[in-house]
Amino acid sequence: MVSSFWRDVVGVGLFALAHAAFSAAQHRSYMRLTEKENETLPIDIVLQTLLAFVLTIYGIVHISGEFKDMDASSELKNKTFDTLRNHPSFYMFNHRGRVLFCSPNREVSNIPNAEALRNPLRLRKLKHLH
Amino acid sequence: MANVISFKNEMRDKLRKWREDNHRNSEQIVDVGEELINEHASKLGDDIWIIYEQVMIAALDCSRDDLAWTCLQELKRQFPGSQRVKRLAGMRLEALEKYEDASKQYDSILQDDPTNTAARKRKISILKAQGKSAEAIRELNEYLEQFVGDQEAWHELSELYINEHDYGKAAFCLEELMMTNPHNHLYCEQYAEVKYTQGGLENLELSRKYFAQALKLNNRNMRALFGLYMSASHIAASPKVNATVKKANVKYATWATNQINRAYQVSYARCLL
Repeated sequence: MVSSFWRDVVGVGLFALAHAAFSAAQHRSYMRLTEKENETLPIDIVLQTLLAFVLTIYGIVHISGEFKDMDASSELKNKTFDTLRNHPSFYMFNHRGRVLFCSPNREVSNIPNAEALRNPLRLRKLKHLH
Repeated sequence: MANVISFKNEMRDKLRKWREDNHRNSEQIVDVGEELINEHASKLGDDIWIIYEQVMIAALDCSRDDLAWTCLQELKRQFPGSQRVKRLAGMRLEALEKYEDASKQYDSILQDDPTNTAARKRKISILKAQGKSAEAIRELNEYLEQFVGDQEAWHELSELYINEHDYGKAAFCLEELMMTNPHNHLYCEQYAEVKYTQGGLENLELSRKYFAQALKLNNRNMRALFGLYMSASHIAASPKVNATVKKANVKYATWATNQINRAYQVSYARCLL
């Protein structure tokens, strides 16, 4: 599902970020050793940090999957009562599906038609079409 | 080989979509799920257990008790002593119409864990299945006093009240649902329909307003459009309204008619393509 290219991009970005952080720490200790506290961080470390940040963010956006609409009602536009009315915790099983999909081997004494026992409903319908 | 893998992934995603959207297309679920279980069980990883649960419930709907039994056995083997699996065993007993045994099963779950909502809801479903709707309503009310945020239960209660023709209380339940889901056009529309069924001038006006609200939230809701047309026409035809209100409602009804005609023309044109 996730393209490994974007995962590599995120990996490279994070590594570059870590590398820039490490360089900045080293620069700091170098400054402390040579007692030149007034020098700011070199521009290439700053640039590397920013670029790595942008690269990581860009890669993560591609990994993270579909964006959702900001409008809360828009993702409900396709919902219908067919699915809204179904409450899985309250499902009942005493409906005609228990008889309709009855397998032919089951003994169902109250069905008078022997044909109904041999064919499931679908095949019986097809027979009438011929 | 690639076809088999993509088929399996496609079917697994379909099953997940059906599960998340609460589709009750049990025949399809049994077809797809049975094939997945029989042939691709090893490659599904941990998804297999939730698929077993989904297929088992669908199998109970389709009277496939053999498949339901196998799924239940697999789940029992993997999760011995789990409350969720016990609930599934209870559901199977319910499907076989052994309501006392199922009730005992749920009671044992509630003894171990008195806060288990699933078992309480199944006991209410047993009452519903046995036709004891008054008791079911009472039990569901008690349940909702403790667990006020359970939206499924509120909707179920509204449906039970509608079946009993107690539209006032059904409207109350739907109001609760609308409060917690203000962006859901379907609750607005169902509330409007209940108000319309109750009848009387104020209820008709209220229903027209809520049909309009449902349309505002989703302008493709055909039932709300028809509802707006019907409630507006009924108000306009009522002898108790004055001329301005009548004119306004005739305007609303004509607007609704135009929208309906346009929607049908658009869908007709789309069919021809």
